[in-house]
Amino acid sequence: MLKRKPRRLTNDGKWGLFMVSPYLIQFLVFLSFPLIASLYFSFSKYDMLNAPEWIGIENYTTLIQDPVFHKALWNTFYFAVLFVPAQTILALILAVALNQSLKGLKLFRIAHFIPVICSWTVVLYVADAIFNPRFGIANTLLVKMGASPQAWLNDEALVIPVLVAVAVWKGVGYMMVIFLAGLQNVPHDLYEAAEIEGAGTYRKFRHVTLPLISGTTFLVLVLTTITTFQSFEQIYVMTGNMGDVTSAGGPDNASMVLMLYLFQQGFSFLKMGYASAIAWFLFLILFAITLIQLWLQKKWVYYEN
Amino acid sequence: MKKIGTGLCLSGLLLMSAWLTGCSNDAESSTEDGGNTTKEEVVEIKLGYYSSGSADEKVEELIQKFEEAHPNIDVTTQNAPYQQFFQKLDTQIAGNNAPDVWLSDGVLVQKYAERGAAKDLTEWIESDLNQDDYYGLDFNKGSDGKYYAVPQGIQIGALFYNKDMFDAAGVDYPDESWTWEQLKEAGAKLTLDGQDRTADDSEFDKKSVKQYGLTFFNITEGWMPVLKSFGGGVLDEDLKESLIDSEENKEAMNWIVDGMERGILTDPSDLQSFQSPMSPFPSGTAAMRIGIYARVLAANETGINYDVSVLPKGPNGDRFAPVIANSWIVNENSSDEKAEAAWEWVKYWVTEDEVQKEWAELGEAVPVKKSVANSDLFLNSGEQSINKQAFLDSFEFAGTLDTNAVWSEWLQKFNENADQVFLGETSVEDALKQADEEVQKVLDDFYE
Repeated sequence: MLKRKPRRLTNDGKWGLFMVSPYLIQFLVFLSFPLIASLYFSFSKYDMLNAPEWIGIENYTTLIQDPVFHKALWNTFYFAVLFVPAQTILALILAVALNQSLKGLKLFRIAHFIPVICSWTVVLYVADAIFNPRFGIANTLLVKMGASPQAWLNDEALVIPVLVAVAVWKGVGYMMVIFLAGLQNVPHDLYEAAEIEGAGTYRKFRHVTLPLISGTTFLVLVLTTITTFQSFEQIYVMTGNMGDVTSAGGPDNASMVLMLYLFQQGFSFLKMGYASAIAWFLFLILFAITLIQLWLQKKWVYYEN
Repeated sequence: MKKIGTGLCLSGLLLMSAWLTGCSNDAESSTEDGGNTTKEEVVEIKLGYYSSGSADEKVEELIQKFEEAHPNIDVTTQNAPYQQFFQKLDTQIAGNNAPDVWLSDGVLVQKYAERGAAKDLTEWIESDLNQDDYYGLDFNKGSDGKYYAVPQGIQIGALFYNKDMFDAAGVDYPDESWTWEQLKEAGAKLTLDGQDRTADDSEFDKKSVKQYGLTFFNITEGWMPVLKSFGGGVLDEDLKESLIDSEENKEAMNWIVDGMERGILTDPSDLQSFQSPMSPFPSGTAAMRIGIYARVLAANETGINYDVSVLPKGPNGDRFAPVIANSWIVNENSSDEKAEAAWEWVKYWVTEDEVQKEWAELGEAVPVKKSVANSDLFLNSGEQSINKQAFLDSFEFAGTLDTNAVWSEWLQKFNENADQVFLGETSVEDALKQADEEVQKVLDDFYE
């Protein structure tokens, strides 16, 4: 019989703690302290140059009434609604297409992965070559087809779809790689069995592949959703009119998203308290969405054991 | 064994450094004691400036000369590109370890002054500087009448024009008699579409403009000089009330919108086609620009044949030249000793002819010291001989961009609404009304 040991750290436990201590210390110093500080700031008026002044929930009440915040919240959701399905479906299609055994396959995989490792500034130049209102390929094509040229990033109705298209192009390779890993874990004998039963390509995909990679799909969905709510750099760079960063988020706040609004309020206008309130609001939204996704996964995600 | 080794090494290093610093202290104090009757201690100050590439070397060189002239002051520097510099500076001020003296963009001086981060320099300026000798001291005056900064170099706006384009169009060069109306008339003749038709032509295709009459960008080099010379503006004299919704502004905005609709002026959408909104003039895509002094550098670099003139008059004969006085700020939280040493640097910068001349040679800004600005060194410097006198003449009708503590915030609100008009989304009246409300709210939130 094993006797229950008194609750004391074993040697292994101590070693374990010691080995993870760099991370623990880093977490305590660089993450938990700023977290608590930002919670405190979110209840105060703080311009960074003077000491924070406690004002209770005023930041939150202002936030709820702030039209620009509403717009930013709406834009963020709009971005997510377009981006998450587009990227997930496209990544899946690409992954299935690139999961064959053909010659030169690696080259295609690399080609789709290149935008992932490029910085947003580089992507901006590529996007500019397409969507530049005067010299861009998009407008040249439109004019050739007899349509009128568009203002793209300067058009309130088009700015988010254009940003989403560019973001999908940049991000799809990464999700594709995750899907590829998932696809390669599907056992071949299942396909063979399905073939013997007379299943065609579509039925094999629908009834074998999809259920077996549902765990991967779930991961991709969660990751993609979180990226959307954190999207900042792209919009900062692409709508910032290059010389003038306070203009980012235009035209008329049509591409103002939460992270950008947070940055603008905190660092451009020195309203750190208000920015902290936005940050905590954003955290609550993300937390809620992730909880919902976790709850929903029971309904459709298949785990082998 | 290894452990003992490193321990020994470390303690050895410690000992050595202690001995070295002790030594150098001894050395300094002994020479001072021996050589001078007054005992002076070395004051260490930290100086911060934002990087402007080629000029950094010159700043460091000038600091070295300053240290030679003031052996009791030891300067350490801190610099970074513009954006990072100010972000870091704000956090440093929050953490109480900001530089003792730093270079501030002219438009940000009041941001620091009104939040209590900049030292009031009024007394020192009055006792140490002959105010008539310098340009731009008043541009940093707060609404309380105190001085919180001393200009390092001055940016002032004038009208740049491309002589080749004027010659090709057979239009007379601009001079001080021009009004904005005349500018637009000339601009129409200088605006060309893909088929080389001018904006006056009834066939003119404004969707394919290949040469603009005037490139128009944002506040300093765009709407502010137009608004002000039409008698309008953004804020009242105390910089706490919005004056946006006025007849004068309406008139000015209509002038701008008409120019954009006719394709003579670049609108925000046109500017998106360029790598930088600053580039249409130096790249030879626009015949004129409203430009601050520093734009001379880009124009010289691309080698276009250009000159400058004062900005046009408004309908009532008023003129306005926008000014940005980039300035030295002394940290309010520095000790008296350090603040005094920092003031020595500021004084050295503005009073010493040598410093002013060397800085002027770089051609980045109009020198602060009038005698240097009016000398040959400034007026006839540079590869091209352009009418630099126009910049100096503009001081007579120069003004700031209504900069106050919440400048960047109200500016964002104004730009947002102005851009809506410029893009043809709303009417001038609606936009001015809305901008007025939003800007007033920003002001009230801060000054309540």
